[in-house]
Amino acid sequence: MSQIRILNTTIFFLLLLFIQETIINRINFPWHSFSIYLAALLVLLAFENRTGALVFGFIGGLIMDLAPGSSTPFGQWALVMTLMGYLFAVNRESIGDFTERPLAAISFISLAAAISMLTFLFIGLLLGQENGGVSHNLSVILANSLWSFFITPIFLPLIIRFRKYSLSSRDLI
Amino acid sequence: MAKGGGNRSRLLLVLLLVSSLFLITLDLRGVNIATGLRNAAQTTLAPVEGFFSRVFSPVGNFFGDIRNLGSTRNKITSLTDEVEKLNAEAALNEDVAGQLNQLKGVLDLAGRGNYQVVAARVINRGANTTFKQTITIDAGSSSGIARNMTVISEAGLIGVVKSVTPSSSIVLLMNDPTFKIGVRIAGTQAIGVVSGQGGDSYLLQLLDSAGEIKEGDVLIARGSDGNRPFVPGVPVGIVSTVQSNASSITQNADVTAIADLNRVGVVAVVISAPNEAPRAPLFPKPQPVITVLVTPTPTPTPFPSPTATR
Repeated sequence: MSQIRILNTTIFFLLLLFIQETIINRINFPWHSFSIYLAALLVLLAFENRTGALVFGFIGGLIMDLAPGSSTPFGQWALVMTLMGYLFAVNRESIGDFTERPLAAISFISLAAAISMLTFLFIGLLLGQENGGVSHNLSVILANSLWSFFITPIFLPLIIRFRKYSLSSRDLI
Repeated sequence: MAKGGGNRSRLLLVLLLVSSLFLITLDLRGVNIATGLRNAAQTTLAPVEGFFSRVFSPVGNFFGDIRNLGSTRNKITSLTDEVEKLNAEAALNEDVAGQLNQLKGVLDLAGRGNYQVVAARVINRGANTTFKQTITIDAGSSSGIARNMTVISEAGLIGVVKSVTPSSSIVLLMNDPTFKIGVRIAGTQAIGVVSGQGGDSYLLQLLDSAGEIKEGDVLIARGSDGNRPFVPGVPVGIVSTVQSNASSITQNADVTAIADLNRVGVVAVVISAPNEAPRAPLFPKPQPVITVLVTPTPTPTPFPSPTATR
């Protein structure tokens, strides 16, 4: 994996965080809210190989830890997304290519968003964080998954296109 | 070859996991890597958030407008504001009556709302992935705002300033699960603690097990030492349901916040409160002991009246 690709993808993640913080968080969704950052990161991880999923999971998680409203330990999302990257890489090899089955990809992303948020909460629980009632948190996670399912198809082609452009000729081989 | 690649991936996985755990450990042990980075991110985003806040405010209410199809949003907003004002006024009135009855007018209630404040606009809300209930406001340390200052709206308490940059601040909302505030009931002056639950309802735990809570009781902030993080006298909420549990040590109740956190647009950060805090006179003063000496005298026997003789 080339360094330029890592740099480009990092800039892309920062741009996504910017969009999340400045635009998406302003929208009053009827039921909780939606993380475009998490969904886009998971989409990208879904198409990566094992090394790519791990590296981008870690970098994406670190940038997620930078969210201004966050008060969780720095590195918690990095840990979660590295684990998610690994899970994606392992399962992707068994499921196959997502590009030909967009519905499966969307379902996988929605489920992965829920799993990553649950893992984040679980790790937080181990670290002694107080994150509110179970029903409220489950409701937040469910809402995010639902929005991911409906909104991800809108920007899925953009992520795929970005990934295609970011691949170097060496990566393509 | 494949085996070699698999081993490399596993090594990378272990390396990244260890790095994450290392960062978490550093953060938990007080090495503030994240604070600087997060503040830098916040400082960078704040001016842009302000711009997008103005540009995207119609988009922000898009889903709400769909839900309220057929009615005028402006009318609803103005009516809600009016109700909030009336609630705040009622809360203050009830609090004044309770204190006058119990503390015999020692408290200077006229200067009760005499806080020095900095008005600010809400420019953003925290992402759901943080699991924290926060808002970002467009005023920071350059306006005199510091950590742990009380944030109020026109109706009552909103939250506490959690972190500050020169141009913006992050406010931890009172519905966050980690938020706790000491309160007193406006009428009975019983004290308790209100905790955020993550949603629209709050939990009141009365410290006095013999105290009495009833629906409609108004809760007022008790205040903290040096007015940080809470200034006294700010309306917090209204008791909506009293939980009856005989086995519980404390008395609990569900509380509704006086301020609507979902509709907050402009807030005020209390940068200083009057020295004569309304809670100060709540401490009992020694009363003068009055001794009354009574000397019993024999009761005179009544003479029979002439009418009675007749």
